[in-house]
Amino acid sequence: MKQPKKRRFQLNERQLGYAMVAPSIILIAVIIIWPILLSAWNSLFDYRLNDPSKAERITSLSINLETYADNRYLVYDTMEDVRDTMPGAANTLNNVTSALDEQHETLLKTDEGLADRYEEVNTMLENYQPVNDDDLRLTDIPEAWADGFTATLDEQTAAVQALREDAPEGAVQSLTDLESQLSNTKNAVLEPNFVGVQNYTDYLANGRTWTAMLNTLLFTVVTVGVELAVGMLVALLINRVFIGRGLVRAAVLVPWAIPTAVAAMMWTFLFDGQSGIMAYYMAQLGIIDDPGVLLSTGAGGMFSVMFADIWKTTPYMALLLLAGLQTIPRSMYEAAAVDGANKFQQFFSITLPMIRSAILVAVLFRALDAFRVFDLIYVLTGGGPANSTESISVYAYKLLFEQQNFGAGSALSVIVFLSVALLSTIFIKLIGSDLFSGRLKQ
Amino acid sequence: MKRSFLMVALLAGLGLAGCSAFTSGDGASDDKVQITYARGTDTTGATDVLVKAFEKEHPDIDVIVREMPSDSGQSHNQYVTMFSGRSPEVDVFDADIVWSAEFGQANYVLPLDRLIERDQINMDAYFPATVEAGRYNGRQYAMPGYADAGLLYYRTDITDQVPETWDELEQLAQENMGKEGAEFGYLMQAAQYEGIVTNAIEYIYSYGGQVLDANGNVVINSPEAIEGLNKMIAIANSDFVPNNVLNFKEIDTESSFNEGNAVYARNWPYMNDTANDEKVSKVAGNVGIATIPAGSDGNASALGGWMRMINRYSDEVEASWTFVKWMSGEQGQKISALEGGKAPTLEALYDDKEITDVSAVLASEDFYNSLQNAIPRPITPIYPEISDIMQIEISRALTGEITAEEAVERMETKMQAALESVNQ
Repeated sequence: MKQPKKRRFQLNERQLGYAMVAPSIILIAVIIIWPILLSAWNSLFDYRLNDPSKAERITSLSINLETYADNRYLVYDTMEDVRDTMPGAANTLNNVTSALDEQHETLLKTDEGLADRYEEVNTMLENYQPVNDDDLRLTDIPEAWADGFTATLDEQTAAVQALREDAPEGAVQSLTDLESQLSNTKNAVLEPNFVGVQNYTDYLANGRTWTAMLNTLLFTVVTVGVELAVGMLVALLINRVFIGRGLVRAAVLVPWAIPTAVAAMMWTFLFDGQSGIMAYYMAQLGIIDDPGVLLSTGAGGMFSVMFADIWKTTPYMALLLLAGLQTIPRSMYEAAAVDGANKFQQFFSITLPMIRSAILVAVLFRALDAFRVFDLIYVLTGGGPANSTESISVYAYKLLFEQQNFGAGSALSVIVFLSVALLSTIFIKLIGSDLFSGRLKQ
Repeated sequence: MKRSFLMVALLAGLGLAGCSAFTSGDGASDDKVQITYARGTDTTGATDVLVKAFEKEHPDIDVIVREMPSDSGQSHNQYVTMFSGRSPEVDVFDADIVWSAEFGQANYVLPLDRLIERDQINMDAYFPATVEAGRYNGRQYAMPGYADAGLLYYRTDITDQVPETWDELEQLAQENMGKEGAEFGYLMQAAQYEGIVTNAIEYIYSYGGQVLDANGNVVINSPEAIEGLNKMIAIANSDFVPNNVLNFKEIDTESSFNEGNAVYARNWPYMNDTANDEKVSKVAGNVGIATIPAGSDGNASALGGWMRMINRYSDEVEASWTFVKWMSGEQGQKISALEGGKAPTLEALYDDKEITDVSAVLASEDFYNSLQNAIPRPITPIYPEISDIMQIEISRALTGEITAEEAVERMETKMQAALESVNQ
């Protein structure tokens, strides 16, 4: 009897297939889904980096050991200064010391190992090392302790405040310092800053969000519209056979190859009211009344960013359309010519229908890109003048990195993401079915 | 895919080669420390001299200079991005005078109290206002670098009349424009960025207006502030300023003035240096300085200036501190003053003949008074938000989209909302 062959571990075809695409799925999850989810999560917090009590996403009552240890050191240090300059304060200071010591003892008892962690943080601070490890830095605390701690510190701060009344001049500065340090110590206690959808309701009710949204929409519609028309002309031109076509094709692509920030910088010089060549010729040609209006009026600013964007991305549009044009068999035009169709008829009854899907793809790509416009506007006008060129991404950037309001900034980023997703869905629903049916028929 | 992998490998190889070249290049110094010092655009070249002098004195420390944008707001954002990612890529950096509350509160920068105490630095030797600017909530986050106050520049070859009030400025700018090829009467900074705030503050305060009072309440909606803003609107829309003044930053003012295009210009002290440098300026030797014109309530120039801070996440705290201490000390400040025309924050240096000889600004009584009467911008940890509100509304008012009255009303409402949302 034949021994059944021992089966080695093997994936069937289907499992193998999944295994092969697993890396790309993981990649997509890590670089696309994860940041979006993180932004969505951030947007649910009142998360401000420049406010120590909101500088982390806190879901449960915690204490920041770094802030705590550092300020505790300073409090004791400043108290020495006060003692030197104001001997009468000794009583109050002794009270502060014993109250703080008592709170400290209780804190260290709330959790096993906390004393060691506190020591570790303290040693790092003495060596001027930042405490980067959140597991070391942040720890949950019981509500009872936090309440007692806050009350004690408020009490002691009031006592120190009272000292200021009849303090000698030399002690005023140290007393003020001591007060702030006590309040900083209190701020080491971090309350949960989860606010739910409040960031969304706040910013959707805010006029500036809607102005930015309208600016973005206007920018998208105009630039994509013009780019489509001009891009089509360019594509038709370089689709023809003529001497030097290669050179023209390469030349047309140059604007697209220049990095956006560099291009934007270039256009700031070209549009400049004093020395800008573009501004000068536009004024000469009577397109604008005065070279200065381009970058110093709201409408001029909007026109400038649109113009620069059209200049920059029309080649990309042309390239996508050219790819579509090249799929049309020459024989169709020959047949049409034999039937007596003129060039216009040929364009409208052959070219346009044949490259419809290429047009749709090009418009979709460009619309999504234009909707997220950031670098061009940021470098060219910074959102000004009069805030008339601020796009939604620029606004989100300002909230995130200028004002460090991560919660609100993330909410706006999520809104941008949702808008883009909505835009793509509408596109695909409205015309995408067309696009696929075209494919199926072939 | 393969290609990019090769690139990475290649770059890594280059990086390693670079490192080893660096360490083996100097025989005796295996423990040579390298720190990165970031600062904004320096058109004077003083930083190089400063760094060379420091490295000569401290051969064990290497300073790498990294250039940041000339627009302080853009630098701010790059620093925030860097520090919120806890990056140690920059160790020491020049910080605008308005950043300390914010950076300190966000724990981006190292509090210097322990180091100051250890090395017994005498903070009383500095102008009190410049030390105060680096202090927030009882902690010292920065060492004073150099002080700035807005100044009025004028062309001595065109006129010797110095406008004392804004009204006089309007009249004189109008009268003198066109002479000696000076196409414009006056230059200012009115782009939608931080500079528009400093310019506006000079108008508003000179007419007796204020932005935030001493208790942090919003007091911008006042007849005085409206009067000041109206004067700014009138000047920005007059025909003696460039037609694109709404796009002007310091660097545009500097290049235009140095090209000989204007009679009067408002800028910071540093411009005196480049304006009198024959290599880059056509008006060298013909530059006069004066205080900013006055409104009905006297004159007010905006306090500016830069401080030195240490990144909280720096790996080289000791070396960074040595560098900061040296730069803020007598030698460092003297080099900045002599080479870069930066106004020292150490009081003693104003008695130094070498310094007062080299720069008309530093010798000038007008400048000394400007510094004494300089007005700070609102002090608050949400300064960027307050500034953003002012930039937008003032820019709107200057383009004529809204009136000065509407602008202050909007600023009032928005600032109150912003302050409330933080104090909750």
